[in-house]
Amino acid sequence: MIEVQNLTKRYGPFTAVSDVSFRVERGEILGFLGPNGAGKTTTMRVLTGYMPPSEGKAVVAGYDVFEQPLEAKRRTGYLPETPPLYPEMSVRDYLTFVSKIKGVPRGERKSRVESSMERTRIADVADRHCGKLSKGYRQRVGLAQALLHNPEVLILDEPTAGLDPKQIIETRQLIKQLAGDHTIILSTHILPEVSQTCQRVVIINKGRVVAVDTPDNLTSKLRGSETMYVQVDAAGADAKSALETVAGVTRVIAADTRGGVTGYEVESGSGEDVRRQLAAAVVQRGWGLLELRPLRMSLEEIFLSLTTEESPAETAPPAETAHE
Amino acid sequence: MSNILAIAHKELKSYFASPIAYVVIGFAAILFGWFFINLLYYFDRMSLQAGGGFGGPETVNVNEMLISPLFLNVSVILLFTLPLVTMRTYSEEKRSGTIELLLTAPLTDVQIVVGKFLGALVLYAAMMGVTVVHIGFLFAFGNPEWQPVLTGYLGLLLMGGCFLSLGLFVSSLTRNQIIAGMITFAVFLMFWVINWIATFTGPTTQAVLNYLSITEHLNDFARGVIDTKHLVYYVSFIAFSLFLTVRAVDSERWRG
Ligand SMILES: Nc1ncnc2c1ncn2[C@@H]1O[C@H](COP(=O)(O)OP(=O)(O)O)[C@@H](O)[C@H]1O
Ligand SMILES: [Mg+2]
Repeated sequence: MIEVQNLTKRYGPFTAVSDVSFRVERGEILGFLGPNGAGKTTTMRVLTGYMPPSEGKAVVAGYDVFEQPLEAKRRTGYLPETPPLYPEMSVRDYLTFVSKIKGVPRGERKSRVESSMERTRIADVADRHCGKLSKGYRQRVGLAQALLHNPEVLILDEPTAGLDPKQIIETRQLIKQLAGDHTIILSTHILPEVSQTCQRVVIINKGRVVAVDTPDNLTSKLRGSETMYVQVDAAGADAKSALETVAGVTRVIAADTRGGVTGYEVESGSGEDVRRQLAAAVVQRGWGLLELRPLRMSLEEIFLSLTTEESPAETAPPAETAHE
Repeated sequence: MSNILAIAHKELKSYFASPIAYVVIGFAAILFGWFFINLLYYFDRMSLQAGGGFGGPETVNVNEMLISPLFLNVSVILLFTLPLVTMRTYSEEKRSGTIELLLTAPLTDVQIVVGKFLGALVLYAAMMGVTVVHIGFLFAFGNPEWQPVLTGYLGLLLMGGCFLSLGLFVSSLTRNQIIAGMITFAVFLMFWVINWIATFTGPTTQAVLNYLSITEHLNDFARGVIDTKHLVYYVSFIAFSLFLTVRAVDSERWRG
């Protein structure tokens, strides 16, 4: 549905995006993850036909965005980083204007405007001026604008930036609902966003793609081993050496102790599932198995490890912490 | 075409949502009224001298003595008001980021530029529409020829179109509407001053400068003559300015 080939974009002598390639399949949500200044907005602006690439090409819904811009634009909805609203227009007038320039047929305009307001839950502010809306509403009107002509492709530049936690959850749910009917690229510099919303992730740093994969694969690929977290109530006995004897376990580290209960991080070889053996080892000795769960490297750690390889000094700490 | 109209309509709405439309229309009405009263007074004196008061034989032509000079004075009004009309057109879209909406919608650059131009032209027509009241007054109480009035308005529309297209171009060069307004005013002033300078120069230079001057081409229209020469000048001036605007928008795309 979307194909980006060797895309390069220079601003004067400065290369903002360098040789970026990726594909997005129909109905998929692709997360475009990278720190500020990585080149996310620039890539999206090329994809939406806002600016031409310096090199390479982008094909959206079967049309080269540079060769056949109008065809590609007809099939693309775009939410820029700042929602492009006219402050003096009411929300409904604004959306009606957008429906006109997006080529929605006259007879369908009213119903399209109403249904996209419905979908983004902004019907209650339909007659308010765009300039008087809160940040959350502005963002949603921007989203309504992107959805208006029911495009095959949605390109959303940081759709949850500046929203409060409740609005973030609502927006993510909306985006997930939209997938399937639409092919979506969303950019973010916030890590949990991709693990919660996206099926695939492109991690970009300093204008270059550093990884493309599913959030899960990225997590396991980046680790040479699996780690389990095991919490045991061993009533004073030495649980550590007992765990070490389990076949396949390579290392056991005591992670925390709370009132006789100790948590261990148990490492095993990559791809080996030692959960059953661990559970048996604990239970057979008559100890209490309080918790047993896989510990995965958080996306945040992956992100840091990928982006710090090239520039240890410049990677800013992520704004939110990963949940997993 | 419907795209152009959608843009033009949006532009017009935004003029009337802000004080700009009311300020320029009000300003035009006041200034035009002031010129009107002065010229009327002058005309009244002239006709008194010529024919011994109202009701006497008409030896002074109301078209030549009043309407035509009135139209020629309009360029002063445009000098001050039209920069206010065009300064926001592109600058504000760039500053607020709405330009991203326009440039990523299935529109061509030409449609956007022409739509903005049309919107401004309609506002300008509304400004001039107010002056119909003054001219109508003359028709009610006198007996002017209507032909020079019509060609005069056509000339005014075209002359205004030149200023507007130029202002649109300037606005496409910056994201600061105040700077756009000031530069536009300076450029207008330059065009306005050209034929003033022309009076000090030799015949060849004078002819060239007069040809370049936007306002000089209005003379014949105000006298009731539609000369292709002037028509071509105005239309190509507008087309060229709009073309430059399209180029400016496009080149900004490349630069980012
Ligand atoms: N119009 C521009 N002119 C010059 N440099 C720019 C322009 N837009 C972005 N950049 C630079 O390009 C780099 C990538 O920017 P951007 O694509 O906005 O990153 P992101 O969206 O990932 O934060 C940044 O270093 C930024 O300063
Ligand atoms: Mg960005």
